[in-house]
Amino acid sequence: MKFIIFAGTPGSGKTSIIKYIIQELKNDFKLFFAKFDCLQTSDDERIAKEYKIPTVKKLAGELCPDHYTALEIPKIIKENQDKDIVILETAGLCLRCSPYVKEGLGINILDITSGDPSRYGPILTEADIVAISKGDLISQAEREIFRAKVLKVNPKTKITEVNGLTGEGTIDITEFIKESPAIKNEKLTLKHSMPSALCGYCYGNKIIDEKEEHQRALAGQKLKNLVPGLNCGKCGFKSCNEFIRAVLDGRAKKEQCPFIKQ
Amino acid sequence: MSEEINKITILSGTNKFGEKERFEKIDIKKGEVVAIVGHTGAGKSQLLYDLERLAQKDTKSKRKILVNNEIPDKELRFNPKRKLIASLAQSMNFFTDMSVGDFLQLHLESRGKKSRQGLIKEVIDEANKITGEAISPEMNLLNLSGGQSRALMVSDVANISVSPIILIDEIENAGIRKEEAIKILVEEGKIVLIVTHDPSLALNADKRIIIKDGGVVKILDTSLKEKGIAHYLNWIENYGLDIREKIRRGEGIKNVEIYCEPIKSKNKT
Repeated sequence: MKFIIFAGTPGSGKTSIIKYIIQELKNDFKLFFAKFDCLQTSDDERIAKEYKIPTVKKLAGELCPDHYTALEIPKIIKENQDKDIVILETAGLCLRCSPYVKEGLGINILDITSGDPSRYGPILTEADIVAISKGDLISQAEREIFRAKVLKVNPKTKITEVNGLTGEGTIDITEFIKESPAIKNEKLTLKHSMPSALCGYCYGNKIIDEKEEHQRALAGQKLKNLVPGLNCGKCGFKSCNEFIRAVLDGRAKKEQCPFIKQ
Repeated sequence: MSEEINKITILSGTNKFGEKERFEKIDIKKGEVVAIVGHTGAGKSQLLYDLERLAQKDTKSKRKILVNNEIPDKELRFNPKRKLIASLAQSMNFFTDMSVGDFLQLHLESRGKKSRQGLIKEVIDEANKITGEAISPEMNLLNLSGGQSRALMVSDVANISVSPIILIDEIENAGIRKEEAIKILVEEGKIVLIVTHDPSLALNADKRIIIKDGGVVKILDTSLKEKGIAHYLNWIENYGLDIREKIRRGEGIKNVEIYCEPIKSKNKT
């Protein structure tokens, strides 16, 4: 199985580009498409309908989207052992993160109008391929300067230009996908570590105040020791962390977790 | 540019219905100017795109492009330091927050070229020939008007992205003196392709390729008479521009002064 991650800021053209790629690959390969987003999406349904391939939607909700992606990847791989290519799309939102794994192929869709490439973190600097979108909006001079700047922050990357509206350039990405190695049955490694997330705000504190934050952090850690950390969903929440926040907010009762009851 | 380009060849692909195009191959030789014409959405820009990426049956049109009768090296497609093609697309604005002078300098560097004394100034001076509002090196790119931006792009293509093949997409929409712009871009010994809706530009080219439904349907050589007509049309347009200038200055327009100069013997295009 090949494991391909597409990351890029919202509006960079990821989904349109992925659609062209699915169109080009679907006759020769068994595909699976996973869409990661924060709050809401229907791209998974649209792609399933249009291209008749299995898809899934993963909404991070109150979790950090990149942490959530990493948590979900093993499940997706386990459930899709019969597929040739698994395509994962994520907004990779905070730019500090990179959702890419060493063993698979990481593709950054980079909107050429979105500013200086040096502002981007691992989402760009760790990408195996940088596909520059919306190049048709600007002059050749700016395209060439932009290209040089991308190479400055990520000298090893392969660069290609794509157009999400017409599909121009997507064929280069399909070629890269075909050439990329398959993942073996092994643990995947993140290319870049995630930022730490251990403060009271992670446990849902909203009041900006040192004391409030500290108290919430302590209460959160206490509950964290009680829950199993299995993200089993029996409490009605997608993950243990979301459950803890709900309990601390007063939106849920501790006893909703079957493991705490015992 | 070390590569010597004598000829590019377009081998036919298919139109949007998957039917074979009505030609086998089109040869474009060094020094030729070719117009690409057809209705909006007919597929004119696709042909430019095929040329820019030196397509090898790997684009929608399935066309194949040869350079000097050979399949070109993949490197030539993307690496700006080796690129054979300079293109002027339909874009009207810059997105980079930078001064004009710094921008040109940066572009020179990304092309792997050394600047020489006065080059940046020459590029700006040339741009100022085709726009009414003068550009200076200290101006910020983001503050340039549409006309100034286009003029700078034209001059950049002519002086910094120096390439043996030049692709131009609808230069007439730019609000600049297009005749002057074409003069700057079309140097002797280059291959130039122009997508255009403008009759005088189309009739001024050596050949024109007619596109419909995503495919080439006809290739015509420009007759001498057509070139004469182009000249006449151009004169009328420039007359219109002169009147525009007077209106802008607040002058009244009293008479239509129709007189047409004979074609000056230009050096061959």
